Amino acid sequence: MLIQCIRAEKQKLRHSLILPACLFIPVIPAVMGTFNYMQNLGILKSQWYSLWTQHTLFYASFFFAPLIGLYCSYIWRLEHRHNNWNRIMTAPVPVSDLFFGKLVWILLITLLTQLWTGILYLISGKLAGLPGIFPPEIIIWILRGTLGAIPICCLQLFLSMRIRSFSIPVGIGLIGSVLGVLFNNEGIGIFWPYSLMLLGMNSNGTNESILKDFLPFLLSVTVFSAFFCLAAIWNLKHRDVKA
Amino acid sequence: MIRCLSPQLHAEHQKIRHTKALLVPLGFLGFYFLWTMWQISSMKPDEFPTGYAMLFYQLPVMNAILLPLMISVIASRICDMEVKGDTLKLLYTIQKPGSFFDCKYLNSFRYLVFFTIGQGLLILFFGSLKKFGGFRSEDYFLYLLTVLIVSAVILVIQQTLSLLSENQLFPLGVGIAGSFLGLFSMFFPVPVARFVLWGYYAAFSTVGMDWNKDTRIIHYYEIPFPTHKFILFLAFGVLIFLLCRTVFSKKEV
Repeated sequence: MLIQCIRAEKQKLRHSLILPACLFIPVIPAVMGTFNYMQNLGILKSQWYSLWTQHTLFYASFFFAPLIGLYCSYIWRLEHRHNNWNRIMTAPVPVSDLFFGKLVWILLITLLTQLWTGILYLISGKLAGLPGIFPPEIIIWILRGTLGAIPICCLQLFLSMRIRSFSIPVGIGLIGSVLGVLFNNEGIGIFWPYSLMLLGMNSNGTNESILKDFLPFLLSVTVFSAFFCLAAIWNLKHRDVKA
Repeated sequence: MIRCLSPQLHAEHQKIRHTKALLVPLGFLGFYFLWTMWQISSMKPDEFPTGYAMLFYQLPVMNAILLPLMISVIASRICDMEVKGDTLKLLYTIQKPGSFFDCKYLNSFRYLVFFTIGQGLLILFFGSLKKFGGFRSEDYFLYLLTVLIVSAVILVIQQTLSLLSENQLFPLGVGIAGSFLGLFSMFFPVPVARFVLWGYYAAFSTVGMDWNKDTRIIHYYEIPFPTHKFILFLAFGVLIFLLCRTVFSKKEV
């Protein structure tokens, strides 16, 4: 059933604007970050590492969650229209599969966004004249950032499922992200789902010790993701839909 | 004209009842409250005399990050009922497209006024709570005026995009991109930054900052308000409004 739900979501996403958004929006921090890096070569002397911070600091701190919020609002958009909630809730599939069918696609799009960010980083580095290829840690940071993004995806998918408005979950994503920066500055980032992406990406270049602290990070990712998924499924099972 | 618009404005007001759109600026004000509290908690007592200057320097940065998206959320929330319900054709039998656009705009603009007043009150609240020094009423009113005007111009673009797009993904994507551009534009040279509309929150700031690397002392200084630039920006805003109104009015429904 889950496979069928994933296939159905694939059909719904055909010809959607998600792919252009996923390709275009990361280009902005890439272009701006590289420009800023080139303007400040006197201060930013760590080459690939400096370029990494310029590329990803604002992206991971403020804009990643609203971007995911946008994807999630889009993926629930059809259900919120007309009487589609009645149709989907009477379909002979478990509600958990409906949710996970969507989550799989959100995670795939997130992975794609992350890989695209990595490719843009490599291209920008070469255009900026940096020597060789980027350090291998960057790949780990991208993957760790993707891991940190999972709870954000689960939470935003839950919010977009509950809130009929397309835009409100996106706004919540932005406020959550900015609060995430505050939590991170206070050193309690692992207790706030929106901070995990920033922690994983090492965008401020300070939390080198995260390899040492990987277990609490992983635990936080697992607990938050499981909690939001369970909350969403419970909600689908026990609350009446508003069609 | 106001008498003519009055029933239409009332109709717009009726449409947004129970949409809880006010929660959007209220939520953002709540965030600003938390953020300012956090900022103040990390201040030393000897920094309080320059507290207002600190707020007037840092708030425009936060505005550039948050307000473009807040405005796109408000515009999308206010405009999505006509888009979702596909009611424009029916509506145009009793209302002109231009007047519909104006009423929508005035309706959304109220939320910006609410937000600006709220932010002004927050500044005064924290200033009097911590007995900040260096309050200049001129800076205060110019700050609020620029927040309102820059937001109003961004709102024109967001409203037009929200009304023209059947899918709200695009206007909200523009909102996110605007936040990105606004934030990055602060690190750009002035000739480049002036082309980024979303960065004007900081461009009209009347407070600058010097940070001495050796003594680690922050010094805030006054910047004369760029009156000419502001008048040009206002003219640009009016032009954008007329252009967007015309584009929307000519749209086939």
